[in-house]
Amino acid sequence: MKSLLTNNSELSTMCHPPQWPVKILRFFVKKEYLEEIEGDMEEIFQDNVARFSIHKAKRIYTWEMVKLLRPSLVKNLSAIQHINQYAMFNNYFKISIRGLMKNPLNSFINIFGLSAAIGICILLYAFAQYTFRTDQFHENKNVVYLATFFANRDGTEQQYGITPRPLGEMLKEDFAQVKKMCRIQNRNVVVKQEANVFHERISYTDAAFFEMFTFPLKWGTSGSLQDINSIILSEEMSIKYFGDENPIGQNIQLNFEKERTKVFKVTGVAKKFPESRSFDFKFLLHFDNLKIAEPDYDFQDWTEPVNATFIQVGQPSDIVAIAARMEKYKTIQNRAIKNDWAISSFVFEPLVTLHQHAENMKEDITGSSASDYKSIIFLSVISLFMMTLACFNYINIAIVSAAKRLKEIGVRKSIGASRKTVIVQFLSENIVITFFALIMGVLLGRFVIIPWFEQMNYFSTEFTFNDRTLWMYLLAILLFTAIASGIYPAFYISRFQVVNILKGSVQFGKKNPITKLFLTFQLILACILMTSAVMFTQNSAYMVKRPWGYNKAEAIYAAVPDQLAYDQLGAVMAQDPNVISISGSKHHIAKSNTTAVVHLPEREYEVDQLSVDAHYFETLGIELAAGRIFNKQENGDKQAIIVNEFLVKNLSQLLPGWEQPIGQQVEIDSIRFEVVGVVKDFHSSNFFKPIRPLIFKVANKEDYRYLSLKAAEGTEIKTYKALQAEWAKLYPQIPFQGSLQEDVWGDYYSQMSTHGKFWRGIALIAVLLASLGLYGLMTLNVTGRVKEFSIRKVMGANTKNIALNVTKQYWILFIAALVIGAPISFVLLKFVLEFAYEYHMPIDYSGTIIAVALLIVVVLTTVSLQIRKVSKSNPVEGLKME
Amino acid sequence: MKKTKLGEFEELVLLTVAALQQDAYGVEIKRELEERLKDKLSVGSIQSALKRMEEKGFLTSMFGDATKKRGGKRKRIYSTTSHAHKVLAEMKDIRAGLWESMPKLALQFS
Repeated sequence: MKSLLTNNSELSTMCHPPQWPVKILRFFVKKEYLEEIEGDMEEIFQDNVARFSIHKAKRIYTWEMVKLLRPSLVKNLSAIQHINQYAMFNNYFKISIRGLMKNPLNSFINIFGLSAAIGICILLYAFAQYTFRTDQFHENKNVVYLATFFANRDGTEQQYGITPRPLGEMLKEDFAQVKKMCRIQNRNVVVKQEANVFHERISYTDAAFFEMFTFPLKWGTSGSLQDINSIILSEEMSIKYFGDENPIGQNIQLNFEKERTKVFKVTGVAKKFPESRSFDFKFLLHFDNLKIAEPDYDFQDWTEPVNATFIQVGQPSDIVAIAARMEKYKTIQNRAIKNDWAISSFVFEPLVTLHQHAENMKEDITGSSASDYKSIIFLSVISLFMMTLACFNYINIAIVSAAKRLKEIGVRKSIGASRKTVIVQFLSENIVITFFALIMGVLLGRFVIIPWFEQMNYFSTEFTFNDRTLWMYLLAILLFTAIASGIYPAFYISRFQVVNILKGSVQFGKKNPITKLFLTFQLILACILMTSAVMFTQNSAYMVKRPWGYNKAEAIYAAVPDQLAYDQLGAVMAQDPNVISISGSKHHIAKSNTTAVVHLPEREYEVDQLSVDAHYFETLGIELAAGRIFNKQENGDKQAIIVNEFLVKNLSQLLPGWEQPIGQQVEIDSIRFEVVGVVKDFHSSNFFKPIRPLIFKVANKEDYRYLSLKAAEGTEIKTYKALQAEWAKLYPQIPFQGSLQEDVWGDYYSQMSTHGKFWRGIALIAVLLASLGLYGLMTLNVTGRVKEFSIRKVMGANTKNIALNVTKQYWILFIAALVIGAPISFVLLKFVLEFAYEYHMPIDYSGTIIAVALLIVVVLTTVSLQIRKVSKSNPVEGLKME
Repeated sequence: MKKTKLGEFEELVLLTVAALQQDAYGVEIKRELEERLKDKLSVGSIQSALKRMEEKGFLTSMFGDATKKRGGKRKRIYSTTSHAHKVLAEMKDIRAGLWESMPKLALQFS
């Protein structure tokens, strides 16, 4: 026991040189010198341990090791690695190039297929990078937080991106950790520059804005934001108002209200914003300008929100301490406001992940990247499909064409190549081919596929080759593709015995079950992608025609600044014989609404609320399902509300009695209301968003902000022009703001057709790949049997016989592929449509049937091309050929 | 002189080996030279000089004893060959001759 202990202690006092330099030394230094040199090194190391610290000794050891690596002491490395392999690889390379040249069709199928797949992989990469890059250009992204709160409005906790007005300033005063703070209040104003007037969104913000967010300026200084009289423009706005000239020092007038205006001096223009950002600005001015723009804007009012409050802390961990002490503000907030709007907690969202969380946030200023993440999933699946298609093509062609190379393999093996070397040969050939495909794929991706995708979606991925991750990704693709497509053929081909090969008794490739399996699988994939193309196209067509639930066609609207403008414009338009009805409202479908909390016995329920007049329903063609609309006397139905069917459906599940909604009493903002009518559901938002519970209230006349009118059928455009003209006469200083109701979702229709376009493009590539693969396979099969067919023809076989012979082994595959593929496509696409769209077309079998029919046409065309070739060939040539 | 190319550093190492006699192994040679040159030397430079000279036939070597300090590895003791002695003597003569033939004046200036 004792001796063991002393031994141990002795061992522990003994220091050892660092491990890895010793290993390097042992690997590199010549064997005959190693013992001496390692001994010397260790002796010096022990001396150094005694003289200096262990660390320094180790450092010296490592450095000495590096200096030992000189030619006279190091092993002849090339000798270990067998340099003569260079010649072997050189030969492999030559053989692969020759192979490529000899079979241009096969090479084309392989390289084109792989490069198309790689091109799509590059699109995936570009798009994923674009998405992941969102907001990452902000230098302080990890220490800037958006203050948000959670509130329970209708049974579920919901996050809001707005904050009570005084919170920002109080946080800054109360917490030493809060270094900077800025609020953002967005407003719509009329911007006037010389004779131009436009409606624009402006942002009031604090001077710290540019210190917290990284929006570099093209011209001017960011510090000028402190000046209450200065305004900073985005590049886009600078070009819109001043062209390409430097506008610094120029004046811009903002008309906040009709009579309230202020002139600002341009002191800065931001550089073009990075494409992937979740928020930006058009015009920035100092927050205190709100006092001028809106004299009753109370900075200390807890009951009113500001659009966003951002804070910056010293380090990310500080936010925990702040979040833990937010209870105090919650109490202040909840004491100030009515119970309806009580909040349950304040939460700080870091800027770095804001774009991912914005999807579930309400009333926030930031955009969400959730749909981009959805697209990444789709693109990944498509890339995988394409890769599989291309690799299967390659594998099939490699297996079948290997028959031609049997002799080569036999010779290689008999002069001493092991199975391993043959595998290495095939894999290295594959790397050569994949490398060509990679170059083509990168070009295809960069110059065809990405521009196609960008043009379709009106954005730029800002794809660049100056990106290290991209090259790693490409390398990974190269290796993965080369190995995935090459490993099976390599093992398969290298398996055969030399004797059998040279004797010619190896029956090869023609009856390989794997080839058939792959072909079937390819056809199934093609079937799925074809179905998706057809179904998305059908869906786009359907969505364009899908009823909105109200009559958009004849409705026109215009925004008005106040009641006076409404009265004047309304009076003029009433003279127009084409106008059937006119309506005034505070909100407008698809343009604006507000949310309200409905109090029911023991329950709160959040709804959308539109304040309108009695003519609104007729004007917009909203259909009544039960009850009545508001009566048309002035101030008639102040205590009445009209609800939509969706709300009735939801509430009747929760509360008894709501099956009969008419006459039900509810409380909103402490006022009792009675339900007098139910309207049919309609989409107040586009089809990507679900229908929400909705109530209509009677709007006060002084709150009218929209004028809607219904034109006689066929006169919409004319009436719209008249409306614009009348407006220009009445208010030359305020730009007209309004449109045909048809146009409120202007980009929605193009977005819909984009989906169809995209999937058609993808399906085209997929079907092309599959049919090319099929064609290549049949070509090989047919050329291997030229003699057979020639003899058959000489013996009197007609085209039909030949056709049956050529295609005999494929029919079962086609049928199997379609029988398996069609139901899979149907189920999968049903799922995909449900995943991608809130509302989609009713799914029936027609899409799948059309896709299968198209696929059959493609397959038959491919097959008949082959048959034609065989039946046209001269049997004499076929027999003569040696 | 033709085949006896000996670099300046090599000559120093060779002389050290000759001087150290039985103690002439890597670490000791390094220590001795560092002391005399008042400079740090790397193991690599000494070792490569030794190996080069062994190849050229100036040195022979044999394994010595192993110590615990060396992690149980044996030393390699170097000794000079008669050829080396001859070359060293030749070098010394050539240098001495050159010194002799240097004019007194030049000496004063140096």
